[in-house]
Amino acid sequence: MTAAAERPRDRRRSAGSFVRPVRPLIPIASAFFVLLGWGVVAHNSGAGWVQALGDGLAGTLLLGILGPGVILSRARLRITAVPTDATAGLPVDLRIESTSRVRVTPVHPPGPETFVGPARRSPPVEGDVLTLVARRRGVVSAVNVEVASAAPFGLLWWTRRLRLELPSELHIGPKLGRSVVLPRQDDDRSGDSSQRSARDIGEPRGVRPYRPGDSRRWVHWPATAHSGELMVREMEGPTAEPVVVVVVLPSDEGAAESVAEEAFGTLVALFDRGMAVILTTTEENGRRTAAVTDRRSAGRRLARAVGPAMPDVATGIIVTMGDLHSGDRL
Amino acid sequence: MVKRANRPGPPENSAGLRIACAGAVVTGISGCRAEGELSWAVALTSIVLVITGMYVSYRTRAKPLGWLKPLLALAAVAAFVWFFRQLTGQAFYDVSTVENPLAMLFVWIQVAHAFDVPARRDLAFSLAGSASLMAVAGAQAVDLGFGVYALAWIAFGLWGLVGMWGSASEGGRLRGRGVVGTVVAVSVLSVGVLTVLPAPHVAGRIDFPANAAGGVGLPGAGGLTGDSGRATEPARAGSPADATRVGGFLGFATHLDTALRGAPGNTVVMRVRAQRPSYWIGETFNTWDGVSWKVPTKNVPTPLFSGSPFVVPPTVDTPVVASPVAGQSDLQTFYMAQSSPNLIFHADNAVDVWFPARNIYVSGNDTIVSPIALGPGAIYTVRSQVNTATADELRAVTGTPASTESSSQARELKVDLQLPKPYGRVKALAEKITAKKTTTDAKVQALISWIGAHTHYSTDIPPLAPGADTVDEFLFGNRTGFCEQISTAMAVMLRSIDIPAREAVGYVPGSYNPITDLYEVQNKDAHAWVQVWFAHYGWQSFDPTAVVPLANPSPGATLFHDAGRALKALPLIPLGVVLFLAAATALVFSWRRRRPATWAIAVARRMERTGRRAGRPRETGETLSEYASVLDAIAGDASGTWASVAWLIEASAYGHHEPSAEERREAELASRSRLHRRRPEMATVDPGVRPAAVPVPRRDSPPPRAGDGNP
Repeated sequence: MTAAAERPRDRRRSAGSFVRPVRPLIPIASAFFVLLGWGVVAHNSGAGWVQALGDGLAGTLLLGILGPGVILSRARLRITAVPTDATAGLPVDLRIESTSRVRVTPVHPPGPETFVGPARRSPPVEGDVLTLVARRRGVVSAVNVEVASAAPFGLLWWTRRLRLELPSELHIGPKLGRSVVLPRQDDDRSGDSSQRSARDIGEPRGVRPYRPGDSRRWVHWPATAHSGELMVREMEGPTAEPVVVVVVLPSDEGAAESVAEEAFGTLVALFDRGMAVILTTTEENGRRTAAVTDRRSAGRRLARAVGPAMPDVATGIIVTMGDLHSGDRL
Repeated sequence: MVKRANRPGPPENSAGLRIACAGAVVTGISGCRAEGELSWAVALTSIVLVITGMYVSYRTRAKPLGWLKPLLALAAVAAFVWFFRQLTGQAFYDVSTVENPLAMLFVWIQVAHAFDVPARRDLAFSLAGSASLMAVAGAQAVDLGFGVYALAWIAFGLWGLVGMWGSASEGGRLRGRGVVGTVVAVSVLSVGVLTVLPAPHVAGRIDFPANAAGGVGLPGAGGLTGDSGRATEPARAGSPADATRVGGFLGFATHLDTALRGAPGNTVVMRVRAQRPSYWIGETFNTWDGVSWKVPTKNVPTPLFSGSPFVVPPTVDTPVVASPVAGQSDLQTFYMAQSSPNLIFHADNAVDVWFPARNIYVSGNDTIVSPIALGPGAIYTVRSQVNTATADELRAVTGTPASTESSSQARELKVDLQLPKPYGRVKALAEKITAKKTTTDAKVQALISWIGAHTHYSTDIPPLAPGADTVDEFLFGNRTGFCEQISTAMAVMLRSIDIPAREAVGYVPGSYNPITDLYEVQNKDAHAWVQVWFAHYGWQSFDPTAVVPLANPSPGATLFHDAGRALKALPLIPLGVVLFLAAATALVFSWRRRRPATWAIAVARRMERTGRRAGRPRETGETLSEYASVLDAIAGDASGTWASVAWLIEASAYGHHEPSAEERREAELASRSRLHRRRPEMATVDPGVRPAAVPVPRRDSPPPRAGDGNP
C-alpha cells in the first residue's frame, strides 16, 4: 500500500524471505528415529538388504525433508492480472502463476490460503486465482505472500515470504458507510429522490459503456443491442453548482477508515441525487481537489487519501451545497 | 493436544494413494512370504484382508463405521497377546526365534489397520508399517531375488509419498521432469548414504542362525558320507568315477587326487555372511602319497555332544600351541544353496559352532563334520578366532619344530613332515631357493616367489602318466597346473626342508554382494592352498596360486566394480539390436508425429522453408498470404505464383475450396522450386527465367478471417 503507515511493515516482512522449515522438529526427529531403528535392525541382522532398503529410505527421507526447501527456493511466482479496483472487506481475485505447486497465503493484504501451480487437474487457462480480502482501503502495488511447499513427499513444510509486484495498481476503496446528513433539496417533494436519479430527466448527450455504479435505468438498450456491449445513456445533467465535499482523514488508521467509509457513503448518496461533486482530499503529494463523477473515481480518490501532515488539523467531512453546509466533524 | 492428535483428518478421496499404500503393504507381506516368514495361508489371507479392508475404508471414508474401531482394537490387543505368548520361554538373545512371530504381529496389525484408514494420516501409517514388514523380510533375504520385492515396494512407496503431497496440495502433481528428478535425487542420496555409511555387517551378539532345513542323519561316525539331503539317496563325496554334486570339485572327500580335476561351474553353492572375507576351510590333508592327499586312517573324529553352540577344542586348529595368540572374534553364517558334503566350513581357528544337530565331529586336522546331510536351506554359524599374527611376528619365527617345540609337539607335527619318498630333486631345489633364508616366513615367501616366477596356472593340463609323481611332474615337467598342483608342490618343498605343511581345501571367499551383504560362493570358488606351521602362531594359510584380497570391500567400491563387470557382461549384440529397434521405433513415431497432418500444412511448410533459404523467414503474426506476397516480391514474380499457392493452401485449410489433383500438383511443383532473388538486368534480358505461374482459381469464397489463424 502506498499509505505511509504500511511501508515499514513491508520492509519488516522482506527480512523473512529466506526459505525456512515449518515446525521441523517432529518430522526430523521422526525421520531420525525411523532411521535409527532401521539401523539397529540392519546392524543386528547384518542383512545387506536391510541396509540397502535403509539407504533408500534415508535418501527418501532426506529428499522429503530437504527437497521442499530447494523446490521452494526455485519456485517463481508472478501475478499476471489484477483488477483496477476493489472494496475493502470484499474479496478480490488476482491471477497468479507459479512454476511449482505451492501454497500461497496472502499476508498483506490478507487473504485465504490457496494452492497455485501445476496441478493434476487441467490447468486454468488464465492461471490460478489468488484472493485478497483487504481490511482497509489503499493503493496496492505489491502483495506480500507466504509461500509454502512440502513437495515432493509432503513430509516437511518449508516456507518463505515473497513480495509479488502487481502488474498494475489495485485501488481498494473504503467500505460503503452511512452518509452524513445531507441538506434537503427544495425540489425534492416526491420523497423518492434517493431512488430516482435526476439525470433521468436531463438532456441526452450520448451513450457510453457501462461502468460499475451506473444505474440500470440509464441502460440504453438499442445501443447495447447494436454494439454487443452494455451501454448507458450519458445525460447532460443539471447545470447546478457542484457539491463540494471536503474529507480530512484523521491520522489514526481505524478512525481514518471510518471517516473514509462515511465519506464514500456520502459521495454515493450525492451521485444518486445526480449531483456533480467536487472532492477535496489530502494525498501524499498534497491537497487535491477535483471532480468525482462516479463510485469508482470516488473510491480511488478515497483509496489514495491520507491524513493531514499537520497533526492538529480538524478531521471529518464537510459537504457544501451552495449556501448549505452539512457535516459532522469538521 | 491429545484431542487434536486423535482428531480424525478429512476423508482421503484419492483412490491412487490408497492403491499405492495397499500395494506397499501387500508387497511387504509377499516379501515376508518369499523369505519364509509367513506361510502361504497366512500370506494369502492377510493380502485378501488388506485389500478388502482398504476397499471398505475407501467406501466408508466419509462416515467410518463406529462399531469397527473397538473390534479392530480388540484384534490388535489379541495379536500382541499372541506375540508375547510366543516369546514365553524363548531365550532372549535368540532373535531368530522371534522373527516369525514378529512378522505375524506386523502383518496382523496391518490387516486390522487396513479396515480403518479413512484419512491421509492413516494411510501414511500403513505406508510406514509396510516398511517394518520389508525390514523383517529383508533381514532374511540372502539372494537378489528379494530385489523384485524391494523394487516394487520402493515404487509403491514413492507413488504413495508423491500421492500424499498431491493430496495435501489439493491436486499437486509431479510432471515428467519432476518424476525423473525425484527418482534421480532419491537414487543419488541413497547411493551417497550407502557409500558413506559403513556396512553394518553382523553384530556378532544377537543372531546365530542355524537351521537343518530338514536334513536327515547320515550313517557313520564323523566320516565324510555324502552331500545329499535325502537319506534314501546318499550322495557320494567327490569321486572321479562318477558325477558329483559337490560342485564338480573332487577334493571334499577322504582323499584328494591331484591327477584329476572336476568341472566346477558357476552354480552358487552357499552364501556366507561374515565380518571379513576368509578362506572357508572344508578339510585339511596331511598324508601325501605322490598323487593323492589323504586323511590318516588313525585320525578318529571326536564327537562333541555339548549341544549348540558346540565349543571346538583348541587342538583342532591350534594343536600344539600352548598359549594361543589373542585375536578377534569372527562370525560366519553359512547359508547352503546346494547339497553339500557333510563338512562344516569355517574360517581359520573355529572355536564355536551353532549347528542344528545334537552332536558334531571334529578332528585334529581342522576338519569339522556334520552328522546330518546338509541340503539347500541349511544354515549354521561358526565363530572363529582370527589369527592376529603380523607379518613381522611371522618373520621372527626361526628354526624347525624339533628345535622350537616340545618333544610331544614335535611328535604331533611329524605327520605334517611326512613324505612318501626322499624327493631328492625337490629338496635340492627347495634348499637352493631358500638358501640364505633363515626364517620360516622368508623361506615360505621365497618358495612362493619362485613358484610364481617359474610356473604357469592352467586347468587344462595333460593327464598324469601312470606311476608319475604330481610334484615331480609339476616342478620338473611342464610346470603347469592349478591350485592342487601348485599348493601340493609347495607343501612338499616345505616338508622337504623340514617345515611342517599341509594341504587345505575349501572355498575362496567368493564374490561379495553389497546388496545382500553376503559372499556368494560358487562351485568354481573351490580351492586348495597350503597351511604352514609357525611356532607359537600355529597354522598359517598361504596361497601360492593367487592373491586373494583380505580387505573387506566397501559397498560403494564394490557396487561400482560390480556395475563395471555387469556392463561388460551385458549381451552387447542383442542389446544393440534392441536399442537400434527402439531408436528406430522412436524415430518413426517422431516422424509420424511431426509429419504434416494435411496437404495444406505440408505445402505451407515447404513455402516457409523456401523463404527461409532465400533469407526471408516468415515473421510472427504474418499471414500466409502476406508472406506469399513478400516471396513474390523477392522473386519479382508479377504473376503471383506464391500468392496463388497461398490462396490454395488457405482455401484448403479452411474448407473454402478443396484443390483438385491438378491444382495440388502444380502448387507442390511451385512450392518445391527454388526462390531466385530478382535480378533486374536478368529480368530485362530474359524474362522467361521466372517460374511459371500457377493458374489462379477464381475466388468464389470469402478470404479466411483473421480469427481462423494460419496454417
